[in-house]
Amino acid sequence: MTEPATPLQTHGYPAFFRHRELGERVVVTSLEGEWIVLERDEFRAFVGGTVDRGSALHQRLVARNLVREQFDVRRAAQTLQRRKRFLHAGPNLHLVVVTLRCNETCVYCHASRADLDAVHTDMTPQTAEKVVDLILRTTSPHVTIEFQGGEPLVNFPVVRHIVEYALQRNRGLGKQLEFTMVSNLALMDEAKLAWLLEHRVQICTSIDGPPDLHDRQRKLPQASAHAAAVPWIRRINQAYAEAGLDPTLYHVEALLTTTRETLQRWREVVDHYVELGCRALFLRPVDPFGFAERTRRVVEYPRSEYLAYYRQAVDYMIELNRGGVEILERYAAIFLTKILRGDDPNFLDIRSPGGAGIGQLAYDHDGSIYSSDEGRMLGAMGDRTFLLGNVATAGYRDIVGHPTIRAMAIASNLDGQPDCVSCPYLPYCGTQPEHNHKTLGTMMGRMRESSMCAVHKGIQDYLFDKLGTADRETLDVLERWTTIRPREHFLQPPSG
Amino acid sequence: MSDTLWGLPAPQIDADLGEAAVTMRLDPTLYPLEVIYAAAYPFIARCWVVLDRDDAGRVSVVLTAKQAATAEQLRALVGEFANELLSSACRREITRQNRALIESVTTQAFGGAMGPPSLEELEAFDFTDEPFDDPLGIAQSWEDKYRKKPRDEGEGEGAP
Repeated sequence: MTEPATPLQTHGYPAFFRHRELGERVVVTSLEGEWIVLERDEFRAFVGGTVDRGSALHQRLVARNLVREQFDVRRAAQTLQRRKRFLHAGPNLHLVVVTLRCNETCVYCHASRADLDAVHTDMTPQTAEKVVDLILRTTSPHVTIEFQGGEPLVNFPVVRHIVEYALQRNRGLGKQLEFTMVSNLALMDEAKLAWLLEHRVQICTSIDGPPDLHDRQRKLPQASAHAAAVPWIRRINQAYAEAGLDPTLYHVEALLTTTRETLQRWREVVDHYVELGCRALFLRPVDPFGFAERTRRVVEYPRSEYLAYYRQAVDYMIELNRGGVEILERYAAIFLTKILRGDDPNFLDIRSPGGAGIGQLAYDHDGSIYSSDEGRMLGAMGDRTFLLGNVATAGYRDIVGHPTIRAMAIASNLDGQPDCVSCPYLPYCGTQPEHNHKTLGTMMGRMRESSMCAVHKGIQDYLFDKLGTADRETLDVLERWTTIRPREHFLQPPSG
Repeated sequence: MSDTLWGLPAPQIDADLGEAAVTMRLDPTLYPLEVIYAAAYPFIARCWVVLDRDDAGRVSVVLTAKQAATAEQLRALVGEFANELLSSACRREITRQNRALIESVTTQAFGGAMGPPSLEELEAFDFTDEPFDDPLGIAQSWEDKYRKKPRDEGEGEGAP
């Protein structure tokens, strides 16, 4: 008696997956974020369940937990749990706007600045204490207080007061506390720097590229904003080195805002960051908040042009890395950490649900509390959708459990988003309700029309194309970009 | 006065260019009422919005721009509304399918973020509210819910 012929071998039927075609290849990801890049004929065999059990392809699929009959439930559950571990703690990032006053005027200003004589936009010490009291109510054991403005150095006494008061209040609480200041550095002096170094306040700045580009976008009256910032970047880096800190880890972090003019100058921008000693470059597109809305016609660009710029710049950065220069692109590092390590670096704008209110809060100079700095910027533009209360009257649980925050958590949960639910990048991606609200009129947004979705999808297309086709040396570079080295020096000692 | 907007189906959509208004007639079997509400709501900042039902049972949505609008702007308004309508319909269905997952994540997120109430918050809590409604007896203990009733209530204890 002969066995009946089996027309279709069914042992390779796939577990749940999502896919996306990338040229001649197909990206496949699982519910929990395992992934594989397949050739088209491999994909057809995978979907049709005709992959030979003994084949190398079958082994690759099993290794990625993509074969139903060998699906490892425990592994999938552990991976999901690791990816979502940020859910179990409250806001860890607290942005404090100590003043709206600013000495610079930027064409895309996100912060809705005020002139230097607008002293009424300074945060008072009394409000600052209430801000700190609320921050330290968070359920998160890690707390980062980030000073923003305006220009925080304009109201330096309140920066100092917040640091000192928070350290004192934290003595009995034992939270892991960090301070960061985002400054254009033009008002820095040796006394302020000594105090910031002594109190382990991490210093970040904005650099938009070479001097001419930077100065056209960031205007300092009767002076060069670039010339005002760069000597301080070098001075601070030197101070870190003198303190015995590893310069590859401890240096001034700089932020770039990509405007239309930046697009053609990607190589100069990368070279300039390398020359300044920066190890990371965040190729952020311009936001639709703040003055950028008014100057959109000058600084905005189609996202397809942005993505071409992104690909060229990152290709160049990879080439530099292969030659021994260490410089990483921040977007790529965030996505690659999720893709290659199965971990989540808790970047609050790229996670699901998003970080508004449950991962971060922003405090305006008058004590108003917003879901995020973007929510605050919209507030400054007259749209108070994301205003949650004021530190003078609101309790912590009122703020974090605010109906707006609940709505935002649901709106930014990609498992409820059309398009996202069928997108293979769902396990690594995120959306921002404030951005959706501003650009598309609803917190949910419509991903097919979302410029943020276009950027996230385009970057992940680029990365998966690299992961599917690049040589070993390039893959090693991308792998290195996912290495997270904590900057422990900036953690405040437990005793304060 | 009824104008047509280029590229849009006249039976379902017409415009009044003088009033900067567009009317869309929707089949309620395609778009449930809650989906129409969800799609219309985001337009209230830019438009006056009127919903109605015509004799054929179709839901009509009238969007009147608050500021003067060209035919091209009205056409874009209709297109945006149509996209929002489809998006709301899909979101409703996806949310229904993924309800357990979304609720679980949201509950974990808020449980983790809010933490337990403080003593002051408990002190301020209003406990005078009526107890919640429990028609299925879910909050009752097993013993209370299933204990045998005494003989005089009509069910003999130890009856076969």
